Amino acid sequence: MTTRLPTRSETASFPALTGRTLRRLNLESLALYAFLCLLALFYLYPLVWMALSSFKLGPDIASRPLSFDLSAATLDNYRLLLRNVPLQIGFQNTLIVLVFKGALTLFFCPLAGFAFAKFRFRGRDSLFSLVLATMMLPPVVMLIPLLLQMGRLGWVNTYQALILPGAVNAFSIFWMRQQIAEVPDELLDAGRVDGCSPWGLHWHIVLPVIRPALAALAILTFLDIYNDFVWPVVAVNTIRMQTLQVMLSDLYNQINNMQVGAVGANAWGQVLAASTLATLPVLALFVALQRHFIHGILSGSLKG
Amino acid sequence: MSHSLTPPKLSRRTLLKLLGYGAAGATLAACAPPATPAPTAAPAAATPVPEGEIVIWDRSGDLFQVFDATIASFNKKYPKITVRHEAVDINAKLATTLAAGVDVPDGTFIEDVNIPTLADYFTDITDWIQPYTQAIVPFKLRVNTVAGRVIGIPFDIDPALLYYRQDLLEQAGVDPAAIATYDDLITAAQTIQAKLGADRKPIHIERAAWAIPLQLEMFANQQGASLVNEKGELQLDGEPYRRALTWVKNVLDSGVGSVQEYFSPGDIQAIDTDQVAFYPWAIWFVYGPENLFKESKGQWRAMPLPAWTAGGARGANMGGSSFAIPKQGKNKNPQLAWLFYEHLMLSPEGYKAVYGPNQIYPGGLSTSLPAYTPAHAEKLFENPKGLGDQNLWEMAVSTVKDIPANYFYAPWYGQAAEIIAANVQRMQDGQVTPDEAIAASAADITTRIINR
Amino acid sequence: MTALPARPSLGALRRWLGGSFAPYVFIAPFFLLFVAFGLFPLLYALALSFTDWRGVRAPELIGFSNYIFLLTDQAFWESLGNSLYLWLLIVPVQTLFAVLVASLLARPFLRFRWFFRTAYLISYLVPLVAIAQVWKVLFDQDFGALNFALQAAGLSAIGWLTTPAWAKPTLALLVFWKSSGFAILIMLAAIQGIPRELYEAAALDGADGRQQFWQITLPLMRRAIAFYAVIATLAVIQMFAEPYVLTQGGPYMSTTTAGYALNQYMKYLDLGTGAANSFLLTLLVVAVSGIMLRLLRARDED
Repeated sequence: MTTRLPTRSETASFPALTGRTLRRLNLESLALYAFLCLLALFYLYPLVWMALSSFKLGPDIASRPLSFDLSAATLDNYRLLLRNVPLQIGFQNTLIVLVFKGALTLFFCPLAGFAFAKFRFRGRDSLFSLVLATMMLPPVVMLIPLLLQMGRLGWVNTYQALILPGAVNAFSIFWMRQQIAEVPDELLDAGRVDGCSPWGLHWHIVLPVIRPALAALAILTFLDIYNDFVWPVVAVNTIRMQTLQVMLSDLYNQINNMQVGAVGANAWGQVLAASTLATLPVLALFVALQRHFIHGILSGSLKG
Repeated sequence: MSHSLTPPKLSRRTLLKLLGYGAAGATLAACAPPATPAPTAAPAAATPVPEGEIVIWDRSGDLFQVFDATIASFNKKYPKITVRHEAVDINAKLATTLAAGVDVPDGTFIEDVNIPTLADYFTDITDWIQPYTQAIVPFKLRVNTVAGRVIGIPFDIDPALLYYRQDLLEQAGVDPAAIATYDDLITAAQTIQAKLGADRKPIHIERAAWAIPLQLEMFANQQGASLVNEKGELQLDGEPYRRALTWVKNVLDSGVGSVQEYFSPGDIQAIDTDQVAFYPWAIWFVYGPENLFKESKGQWRAMPLPAWTAGGARGANMGGSSFAIPKQGKNKNPQLAWLFYEHLMLSPEGYKAVYGPNQIYPGGLSTSLPAYTPAHAEKLFENPKGLGDQNLWEMAVSTVKDIPANYFYAPWYGQAAEIIAANVQRMQDGQVTPDEAIAASAADITTRIINR
Repeated sequence: MTALPARPSLGALRRWLGGSFAPYVFIAPFFLLFVAFGLFPLLYALALSFTDWRGVRAPELIGFSNYIFLLTDQAFWESLGNSLYLWLLIVPVQTLFAVLVASLLARPFLRFRWFFRTAYLISYLVPLVAIAQVWKVLFDQDFGALNFALQAAGLSAIGWLTTPAWAKPTLALLVFWKSSGFAILIMLAAIQGIPRELYEAAALDGADGRQQFWQITLPLMRRAIAFYAVIATLAVIQMFAEPYVLTQGGPYMSTTTAGYALNQYMKYLDLGTGAANSFLLTLLVVAVSGIMLRLLRARDED
């Protein structure tokens, strides 16, 4: 592309645009947009297929998977789904878990990441290794003992069982540490000179500087909690406490033919309808918040 | 092992009275079951009724809804038993919940293959079910019996049938009645291919890892064998399995097999483009012609399986489910759970509500048959449209007497099935012979699973 | 650790710890939750790994038998081999791909940035089960759209999901599709933390876009790359859901990953073997990620 990346203030008038670079720019940006669009197609096609198919009847999904006939579009899958599955309960439970678990993650993980990245303290490296090690153990092996523990606490079918385990997780701490390590020490030293407490350094210096990463952490945390079902499936035994993804995985298991003698009345249509319903609100939220996020991310860079 | 299967603490007399009551459908004339928590026990009155709460898990989806609709008829009989009915992803939750012993239901739906693995967790109901055992399809009673004790209440049996396309057979001039053996089936498939085009692959051959062992066990069951013998030993290396796998290989070698995963997109395409004319499968295949197929809907018919040898048996079972009463049930009310299942499966009000026309299935539940034979006396579900209004009920019921009862599962069945499936896939791809597939599977199962 | 100071006053303790209690307070929430909900399950699972336990009967202590069984079991090594193969197909390509796409997305003049970003990230959000079905429709050997295209171009059909040689790449593509949005997001967050002045200085020195990418972008993203490589490696080794919904570990166990094999033990309540398998995987992951972090850190010091 160009030989020089402009700073934000320069973007209004760009002095280096001679005729030659402009031609190169056009060709290159054509290729760039073509590539990005192709990539978008690769990512969006399955999504579009899912959404369109959810308006088709079961036999049509099965026997004409790749065509879509608008005149035959139907809401039957949605009608059946909403009759059979209390999705609104799922949304509500997911929302509650999202708010509390998300808040815990977003508050405590950057804090721990800060400690591991910028403090020298006794046992730091071994403690950090311990944090990493907890991430390495396959979660499936913990399911039964954790359920046993929830039983002892009387926490089966409670929100705290869905929220607390894994709320301050190694993954997020690890990532925050990697990001905060990039924050120049000079900034922190300046803060110390100004008399900032460790908490003050974190709140006034680190967090503003890592805002892009923090925004991304928020997105990832949101998605991870939203998509999680391995533990929630085990932790609750009643539909009143199920999250959206638990309902979805249950729906899928009803029709994935891996059940001997399964009647499978819930055909693919309902799963695709449920998947669409589970995806679209978040997609809408993303689109709505995109500009906000980008703004937050782009203006976050205070470094250098 | 047997010590862990002792019946719950419950006076035999009370139990028998409860049982007699349930069987006769009369009013109870005994005191409330002693295992019910004391405060809820009815005062010594002339006709106390069983009361308490039970938590019942059923597989979520249509079956849950069907069973849910039967609770009203149960409460008509037992007004004081509160049923908390939960729709649960049984496959995902049951084993974990039982192993942890946390919030365990008082009664649960369970697939038959899993019964031996989880047997230790379930209440011995041998004495309770005793009055009914003569009337239960022997195959199914066998499947619910572990170490000589009955631990499950049979739900359904799933007779295997030969589903075929009557229109394609007619076009090719094949008379279904003439298909008496599996070799005849290959000949018929070759005729169809010769008459209708070389692109036809008339016989479905199963590819999915979960379904290969299921169908193979069906073929074996038809020959009176199963993967496990009476002593719990592996008996894969024998004539029944060799015959079944050799037949599969012959189908493929003759170029008449459509290798697909049951009801996968590819399978349905193959079916709806008239490539497949024969589908030897459990009765629940009917779900396809009823709900999934478009072009071939109404053209399918069912007939008894061909025999392995001329004049041989033509009945077999493929899959099925039952109910069990966990010992750790949170309400400690095993006898109330038993009353529930007794009503559901072993009383006319119950099984008619489950299989007959209902809100969820206006035509009745046509994908399996009750395991309790008195229920076979009267047709419970309507003729499926997907089968051109053929009387599927009668066809399926007629094969039940031929289902060999000599069938056993073992706790290691599931793990063994995966090894078998992998080797059968290899055989389908021409990498090994049937003999080699059997030998490799048997060796692997023996060393890796049984003799560990 | 070295011995505590002789005179354990608060001040001495603070000095001994490194000057401040703050970092301990900051990391305390993680460890509190870990002690509350992680330690017991962990020790429990560790104990289980030395037992034979499948049911209500008491677990039977059998020493290292589970470990010995697994380490001498061909299927265990095959599952590791499958995971390694999938790792090679997924992680290096995806990491580079994500850095590249993120650097494109971070270009100052990009139009429709919000659209591309959302489009790439959305795959992370779509339920796996729906995507697996798309894959089955597209990659079916006899009726799939892809093979139609191949045949239209005069090529022969490929058994995408039915042959061991192709099932792994097809599965890898699904994983790639599903998780690239995540990778791009991580890289984007890192790339936007790079000071612009560095690029300006490089531009003044006459470095073109490609050189800037190799000389500035890539080196300054080492930590993010290291992080992602470790996370992705972890995910690939523990991968279960993708092969479960797409191939059930087949054909003939060619997509039975280490995580899938482990889940099978848990599924059949062979909890002792399952736990032992988990700890072997954990050791492997710790070793591999330790090496990765060290390699990437060593370059850090250059």
